[in-house]
Amino acid sequence: MDRDRVINHYIHTVLETGHPPVTVYAFAKELELGEREFFEHFASLEALEASIWEKAVADTIAKVEAGDDWHGFTAQQKLLSFLYAFCDRLLDQRSFFLARFPRPSKRDSIHHALKPMRHAFTDFAKRFLAAGKEGGEVACRGALTQTYPTVFFGHLLSVIEFNLNDTSSKFERTDAYIEKSVRLAFDVIGTQAVDSAFDLMRFLSGRSWGQTSGH
Amino acid sequence: MPADQDSIPSTRASRMAALAGAGARVGVNYLRHYGRRAVGGAADRTTLDEANASTVYDTFSRLKGGPLKIAQMLSIDRNLLPAAFRTQFAQAQYSAPPLSYPLVVRTFRREFGKEPLDLFDTFTQSAAHGASIGQVHRATKDGHSYAVKVQYPGVADSLNSDLAVVKPVALQMLGLRDADIEPYFQEVRTRLLEETDYTLELKRSIALSAATAGRIPGLRFPRYYPELSNRRVLTMDWIDGRPLDRFANEETDPERRNAVAQAIWDFYHFQIHELKQFHADPHPGNFLVDAQGDVIVLDFGCTKQIDPQFHRDYFRFLEPGIADDPIAFEAGLRALGILTDADTAQQRKFLMDSAMQGTRLLSRPFHGDTFDFSDETYMASIFELGDEQRKNTDLRSINPARGSTDAIYLNRAYFGLYSLMGLLKATLRTRSPLS
Repeated sequence: MDRDRVINHYIHTVLETGHPPVTVYAFAKELELGEREFFEHFASLEALEASIWEKAVADTIAKVEAGDDWHGFTAQQKLLSFLYAFCDRLLDQRSFFLARFPRPSKRDSIHHALKPMRHAFTDFAKRFLAAGKEGGEVACRGALTQTYPTVFFGHLLSVIEFNLNDTSSKFERTDAYIEKSVRLAFDVIGTQAVDSAFDLMRFLSGRSWGQTSGH
Repeated sequence: MPADQDSIPSTRASRMAALAGAGARVGVNYLRHYGRRAVGGAADRTTLDEANASTVYDTFSRLKGGPLKIAQMLSIDRNLLPAAFRTQFAQAQYSAPPLSYPLVVRTFRREFGKEPLDLFDTFTQSAAHGASIGQVHRATKDGHSYAVKVQYPGVADSLNSDLAVVKPVALQMLGLRDADIEPYFQEVRTRLLEETDYTLELKRSIALSAATAGRIPGLRFPRYYPELSNRRVLTMDWIDGRPLDRFANEETDPERRNAVAQAIWDFYHFQIHELKQFHADPHPGNFLVDAQGDVIVLDFGCTKQIDPQFHRDYFRFLEPGIADDPIAFEAGLRALGILTDADTAQQRKFLMDSAMQGTRLLSRPFHGDTFDFSDETYMASIFELGDEQRKNTDLRSINPARGSTDAIYLNRAYFGLYSLMGLLKATLRTRSPLS
């Protein structure tokens, strides 16, 4: 039994009935599958769903990293390519995302459903940020820099939320949101403006706030 | 120049913040002005206007779409803004920040279902130059060079919120009244919505260039490619040339400058009087001059139809001597809806006087066979007239929302045309189109 077939059938069931299957038993039976075989692939229906979000991110990463231009891209272009490709992919699964993606209002209770997805994304983010640091695109700010992958994951969630709420034709406003927000993010993590502002504040306050720069 | 073109205020809140910041800086400049006067120094109104203009311009150029377009439109109407604002705003065309290459790829995928390199052999990752709501990339296919204009996404959608944010602050900063500026906001809204649809621009470009082709010596058009265009991407020939303002600065041969100016002048009058439809954006960035000295017309995003009745009423004011014939003149103003029965005798006198003064001045180029636009006193007196009318409180107390809105486009085209001619320091054959 193919893992993808289980996933596809799960998506199909949700979209057809409007809700997830009640039990693993009922779901496995429809697939003419024993419970034991189901649990070889997934520990629970929740884990199955979490793997769908993870797969959406992982597939997109694999796709953009295989692009011809990828190695010539700056960190900013890499993130933008990922987000545009992700939205492109979202077109194929929009109904399922609308039905099941943990929206901000109820995200606390099912946060664990996003963990594998977050893991896949932050690994990717660490890679492009490391390249960005080498290229001088990302300023080194010690411990603060460590939080960037998580912050960018929060940004990805905001992009998904924006896209799912978008009513503009061909979801163009999402594209504009991505372009503008990523540019702002890289302005903040890249330029010296923030560092200079801290430096000035520290100077004016007349005492040292400790080392924030990690050279 | 703007200090940092990379930082684009993105959210509505930060746009507000950027504009409010400019408002505050204008205030500071005023304080400096009055401070200087208080301590007995020479506080020159022009210095003040220049300081304000660059502050306001910095702010507008960091915003895209609606605000930038408003800046450009205001920059071209000589009546609305002091000279310092106009020169700053006229640069706006060249200052829109670029779209990222991934977004260009995304736009191609969204609109064509293909990537740039599926359609072209080469495609530049960065833009060759900007436009107010998009940017131009250079591409090649089978050895032919194309200019590919790609639009910012979401311009149409964010238009109304942009204008709502910008309007009150613009009124404050520029010291204009709501009624003065309302027709412009209406126009900007309509025009921008039209400009966001490149299929419309494609149709107009093809029609207008076909109707004009071969009629005006020294003028040509790029070819447009419908199969490589859609509502967000517009493809035409890449043409090597200098933008008109650069040509005007660099070209020392008056014959060549005159020939370029004559081609543009004839092009406008051919459109206005024969086609009754015209390219309403005579901005120096919309013309290129190639190595042979031919003029290439770009950007048909903004074209305007002229109603024949309006055409007759408007161009009656070009008849020699009409400004000295109060009865015919008043009838003309009434036909255009500039004078109404509700006006008091005093208001009528103000309107008549200022319109006569304006008509005498603005119709002067049409009264002889040739006219010399390098005459700086003439150009200066046009600007002065604008400034004078702008400052005249009696005139401003009269509701300015009068007459046909068609006049806005035509006035704008003429102001633009005259300033292009002034820029080129040209001497032209200008015989009256009515003769």
